[in-house]
Order: sequence, then C-alpha cells, then structure tokens
Amino acid sequence: MINYKRFLLENGLKVLVHEDKSTPLIAMNILYDVGSRDEDPSMTGLAHLFEHLMFGGSVNIPDFDTPLQLVGGENNAFTNNDITNYYLTIPSENIETGFWLESDRMLELDFSQKNLDTQKSVVTEEFNQRYLNQPYGDALLKLRPLAYKVHPYRWPTIGMDMAHIRNTNIDQIKKFFFSHYAPNNAILALTGNIDYDLAYKLTQKWFGPIDNRPMKVRNLPEEPDQTEERILTIENEVPSTALYKVWHIGARKSHDFYTLDLITDLLAGGESGRLHTKLVREKKLFSEINAYITADIDPGLIFIQGKLMKGVDIQNANNSVNDVINSLLNYNGIHEEIEKVKNKFESSTVFSNTSILNKAANLSFFELLGDPGLINDEVQSYRSVTYEMITEAVKRYFTSSNCSTLNYISTRKE
Amino acid sequence: MNNLQRIQPPVYPAEKVIIPKAKSIRLNNGIPLYLIEAGTEDIMRLEFTFRAGQVKENIPLLSSTCNMMLSEGSQNFSSEELNRSLDFYGVFLNQSAEKDSAGIVLYFLNKHIEKVLEFSHEILFRPVFPEAELNALMKKRLRWYMVNREKVQNLAMDNFFESIFGRHHPYGYQIHEHDFEKITPGVLSDFHSKFYTPENMAIIISGKIHSQTADLLNSHYGHIVLKSLNNEAFVNLPASEKLKKIHVEKSGTVQTAIRIGSMTINKRHNDYPGLKVLDSILGGYFGSRLMKNIREEKGYTYGISSSLSSLDLTGYKVISTEVGQKYCQKTIEEIYREIRLLQSVPVKKEEMDVVRNYMSGEMVRMFDGPFALAESFKSAWEFGLDNNYYYSLAEKIKTVTPDEIIELAKTYYKIDDLYEITVGSE
Repeated sequence: MINYKRFLLENGLKVLVHEDKSTPLIAMNILYDVGSRDEDPSMTGLAHLFEHLMFGGSVNIPDFDTPLQLVGGENNAFTNNDITNYYLTIPSENIETGFWLESDRMLELDFSQKNLDTQKSVVTEEFNQRYLNQPYGDALLKLRPLAYKVHPYRWPTIGMDMAHIRNTNIDQIKKFFFSHYAPNNAILALTGNIDYDLAYKLTQKWFGPIDNRPMKVRNLPEEPDQTEERILTIENEVPSTALYKVWHIGARKSHDFYTLDLITDLLAGGESGRLHTKLVREKKLFSEINAYITADIDPGLIFIQGKLMKGVDIQNANNSVNDVINSLLNYNGIHEEIEKVKNKFESSTVFSNTSILNKAANLSFFELLGDPGLINDEVQSYRSVTYEMITEAVKRYFTSSNCSTLNYISTRKE
Repeated sequence: MNNLQRIQPPVYPAEKVIIPKAKSIRLNNGIPLYLIEAGTEDIMRLEFTFRAGQVKENIPLLSSTCNMMLSEGSQNFSSEELNRSLDFYGVFLNQSAEKDSAGIVLYFLNKHIEKVLEFSHEILFRPVFPEAELNALMKKRLRWYMVNREKVQNLAMDNFFESIFGRHHPYGYQIHEHDFEKITPGVLSDFHSKFYTPENMAIIISGKIHSQTADLLNSHYGHIVLKSLNNEAFVNLPASEKLKKIHVEKSGTVQTAIRIGSMTINKRHNDYPGLKVLDSILGGYFGSRLMKNIREEKGYTYGISSSLSSLDLTGYKVISTEVGQKYCQKTIEEIYREIRLLQSVPVKKEEMDVVRNYMSGEMVRMFDGPFALAESFKSAWEFGLDNNYYYSLAEKIKTVTPDEIIELAKTYYKIDDLYEITVGSE
C-alpha cells in the first residue's frame, strides 16, 4: 500500500507527497499535460524539442544541470504522445535546490536562440541515431500513419519530418511554452525522504507565486473506426524479414484496458508466453516475438512484432500469429496460465514500486488520469479479469478489419 | 509571496555515506554466502555468481551459450516446465555471462523462496544441454547477431575490444558466423562441470532477510559435494594489437560510431579512485566536458560519454559516441583537445566542486536499496575488495587536487597510446 497526501495550490498546481524514510533520497517528478498529440500537424516534434530546451536555462538560472549536480542531484525527462515528464533525484538535505530549479523553468525559460539552434541539431542526431541508423528503425515511422489516419498519434513523438524541427523559430517556441507550460497544467509528485509539512511549505514558497495561464484548449480529432484490413509491404537491406501487426483498442481509462494488458502477457509475458513457446520454440518461425499494448490516454494499439527465421514465408508467419491469438479462445489449460500472468503482474508491480522514481512517476500519471489511488488498485484490477472477459476481448479486437500489418521484407541474399 | 527572491538555496554538503555491511557466512560445504539486509518490501534479489565468464572459454561463445542453456532443460524438468514455473511464481530470472564471471540473478517475493531455491538448484547444477534446444538457440542467436552487427555502435565496440585486448584473447576476439556451428552438448557439459562448481561460486542475497534465510540456503546448497579439482584454465594476459587506428566502412549509414580508449588499471590499483574522478570530468556525467562541448555547445551528437571499467586481468577506458557523418573528424579532434587540456590546465575550483558533489550524490544512489547495494557489493568483492574501497573512493572524490588530475591525465591518457575506432560510411 502506497500512502500519499495531495493538495492543490491556488494557481492550479496539483501536488502529491509520499513519504518513504528508507532512502536518503527524494524524487521529484513534474508532469506537464502536453505531448506530441497536442502539436500542429505542420509543426510536429515540437513537444519533444521543447523538452530539450527546458535544460537550456530559465529566466533566473542560466544553466539547469550545473546547480543540480552541485548538490549531488541527477535528472532526466521524457516526452511521449500524451505527456512531458521531468524527474530528478536528490539527497534529501538539498531538496530545496530542486524546488528552485523546477519552479524557475515553470516560471519562464530564457528562450535563447543559441540553445534552440544547438538542440535542433541534437534532436536531428537523436532522430538519426534512433530511426535511421538502426535496422528496422523506421518501422514505427511507417506503421503509425498506417494505423491512424486522423488522430495525432499518426506521427511519432520525435516528429514526422525533421524539416518541422529545422523550421521552428523562437516565437513559436515562446507561444508553445505559454500555452502549455503553467502550474495549472502540471502535476508535481514528491516521494522518498521528505515530510509532508516540508513538501507543502517548499511548494508554496517556490511554486505558489507563479501565476496560472490560459492554456490551449485540447480539441483532438477522433480516429474513425477502421473498417478494413490494411497491409503495407516494404523492402529493405536488413538481415531478416520482420512482421509488425497492430489492432485498435480503447483509451487508457476504458474498462477493458487490464483485460488487454493481460492478453498481451498471455501472448508474450516472459519465456513461457504463448507466442514465444509456439512460434519461437516449437515451430521455429521467429527468432524473437513480442506483444504489448500502448498505455496511450486516447484510444491506443495492441502491438505484435517479430523477426522471422531465415527462409520463413511471411504469410505463413502471419497466419501462425493469428492461430496463436485464436488459441486463447480454447478453454484447455488457460486458467493456470491466467493465474500465472496475474502472479507475475503482482510481482512486477511490487518490484516497480520499490523505486521512489517509479512511485513519483506513477502517482503523477494516475493523478492525470483522475485518481492517484489507481497506484494501489492496479493489481486488483488486473486480478479481476476473467476468462469470459478475455474471450470477449479477443473476439472484439483481434479482427482483420481492425488490423494493420507491416511486412518488412529483407532483400538480403544469403 | 510574490516578491520571492529567486536565488539559489544554500548548498549542504553530502552526508557521509554509510554502507551497510554484508553479513558473510559459509554454507556447510564452504560456499560463501553474503546477506545484505535492506528495503521495506518483502522481496529479494538472489545472485549466484561463478568464475565462468568468457575468460575461461577455449572456443568463442562457449561461456555465454553454457549460461543461456542452463534453463533449457534439467534432469527433472523440461525448459518449458522451468520457464512456466518461474513465471507462475512471479520470479524474474536474469542469466548473464560477462568477461570474467557468469551466473544467474533471481528477483522474487519472499513467500516463494523455497520454490526459487528448488528451481535455481536444478538450473545451476542439473542442466542436461539437450541438443534440439541447443540447435534452436544457436539459430536464433545467429539471427540476433546478424541484426546487431548492422548497428554501428556494436561493430565499433567489437572492433575496439579486439584492438585493445588482442584478437586471440577471449576479452577481445570478435564472433564470426561460423562460430555458431561449433558448440555441442559435449563441450557445454564439459565447461559446466569445470566451472559451475561449488568451489567456484558465491551467493549474494539482498532484501528483506528473514531469520531462516541462511538456513534455507544451507539446506538447498550446503550439501553439494566439493570436487577439489584443479579447474583453473590457463589464462593468457590480453595484449593489444599494433594498429591503433581502424576504420570499418559501413555503407548507407548516416552516423559514424567512434570509440577511443585503451587498456588501463583496474580498481585494485591505488590510482583508480582518482582516475574515476578524471573520467567523470572528461565524460562521465551530463555536465562533463565532452557532453558540454560536443553535444551542448556544438550539437554534433545525441550523446557522448567516457567510462572506466575493471576486469579481473586488466581494465579499460573508452570514449563512446555516434555523431553525424560530417562531424566525425571534428569530433575526434575535439576529444583529443579535451584530453590535452586536462593534461595541461588545472581544473578550476568551481568545476571540481560540481564533479565532487555530483559524484558524492552518485555514491548515495549506489547504496540506495537492496538491488543497488547488492550490485555495489559484488563489484568490489569480485576484486577482493570490500567497503573500504568505497570509503577511499568517497575520500578521494572530496580531496583529489587539480594537480593530481593533471598528473593522472598525463599518466593514463597518453594520446599516442589511445586506440581510435570509427565505423560508418566515409
């Protein structure tokens, strides 16, 4: 059980505090309710570029990292489709430095042209490193626009075209900041060796004086139901052919999220998952195969992706994946497997919540979903999934008209 | 409230690191067991480590394959039964074979400890290395290998190790496609019987230790008979290749991977703590000189770092980055320029303060919680060292002088001694 207290500042900042005196450290997590889904289609990648800019100096502090390192702190951040999340850990005696740093960059950045130019280049190299210079690195760049036709999830967080990043100017950056970064669009979580009273006092002192700001109203186009199967085949100089399949699912808060999570664990959780057992070990069609669901706030996807063994026909591989999915409808032996993945989920939740950073990030994200108490309910939600719920979800979601397939064909001669 | 002066709060010195001591006992047959009590949850991390790393192998892939095959079937269970059972009890099993050691680590909820001990015993001491599983594994591994060799960073690291440790040494040789055909059940069981033995192992357990934890381990592992054989393989010392600059052409790439470094001292050497500080200044953290110069000032790369690693027979340091192709030569020049600066210009007090405090904070993180504690314990213990190694590191972080840094840079970063590997398209 993770105990926490919450309070709300007058300027709209939501705050959660969880005391854990077993560590000498404090984790500080700030979630901003802005992600790549909030971008203009002609200016994608801005939310992530902005994350980089947040380390380039704020109105009263020329450099974010050095003062933090000076008090033994460490920090990082990530951006995804939905959120931008900043986190740091710091020895508890110096936590006030964390408040000073984080509140100043919420107040205002210094918007330096030099920093913008450098970070455009860094992000371009990040794009090259992750997407262009890796075998299969571009697969998700192809798959997203196949699955999503309208919703902003159709582009990746880093941006759909590096020209968007190159063309960004300082005025657009300022506008983005003042329409997305504000106390009333943020959640602060503090976990570890901190008292609630101190957390309250320091939050009031450093974040209290920041005025709330009018935020851009989120009005995203809804992805229409997919009505027929989509298949894209591309050829490339890679060592093996790979298969990627996705199916649309509901939003993060929809009632069958945990059912679908459990289904992907039956398929691919651990060495004993069905896809691995049947297709890697028994039939030897794949060298590796994985399945997972995105935890996107808006309607997301189930992913299955695998690399084929040499000489395996892609159609055969594809049919075999569908056979394994359909095997979940067979009653035989599945109850023990359901119990197995529930035990594993419980275990992995306990392990995940030993980290103050994970606890801070989870509390923030669940607060964004509307209820931080979900952090303590997850295991029960997952445990309450029944065989009937599983079969119903398999029948509903794993249909061919709901599926997009990317055949990534190796042109290499062996 | 609105007239808050947004000035830096006072900086408090890091509190002295206090490292919980591992309790050391021996099982009935002499196997060393280390218990580290930490954490609030009823969970455990249990590690079995053997002197069975690559350095002990006489053919490539032997150590890693033997380790991976441990869970592919035992006298009493098939691979499927082993995997299913571990998953059923919510156990996370990590198998790994490194340059010196190999073994398994299990993470689990305390209530399942008996099952974990039963299955780990099967995995470690009763594997049968079935041929069908072996063939399937080697075919899979060949596919993974072929994908990995497409990545410039892997090609660069493989070539770097070959250059600094030599093409004939297990620390250094590269893997080739034909190596995947040479491993047989026979060579695996031979390697296993020589190196996965009670006299060659240690057990490290951390988490919520209970009064009966040691007894349970003794009842599962304390009766295995020692063989008292002389199993020490004859080990050559690594010897670097002569050629110091290598470019591997990889067409169609947009970034070039760079590795610059060489063999160096390991943590048994008195200069090592000081060298750790020097390494941090150069490229060991986000505020390091390389990161500031190559990424934050010039934008040539998404990341650049340097690191210092200890091996049983030696150590090595390496600077690693992937940069846009057109920035490759400029980056290499800047790397050497930064090294020369460290050899000639004293580091200013402000920068020394930042690195001292950053590293002191890192030391707090290294001993925070049962998993970090176990890993830190092991990485000193493997070298015959104990917590005093960390206390002297902490002391050195506080006291090393700018002049010492210059001397260390001159002694250990001689530019003529460095190997330079680039992989990309020219």
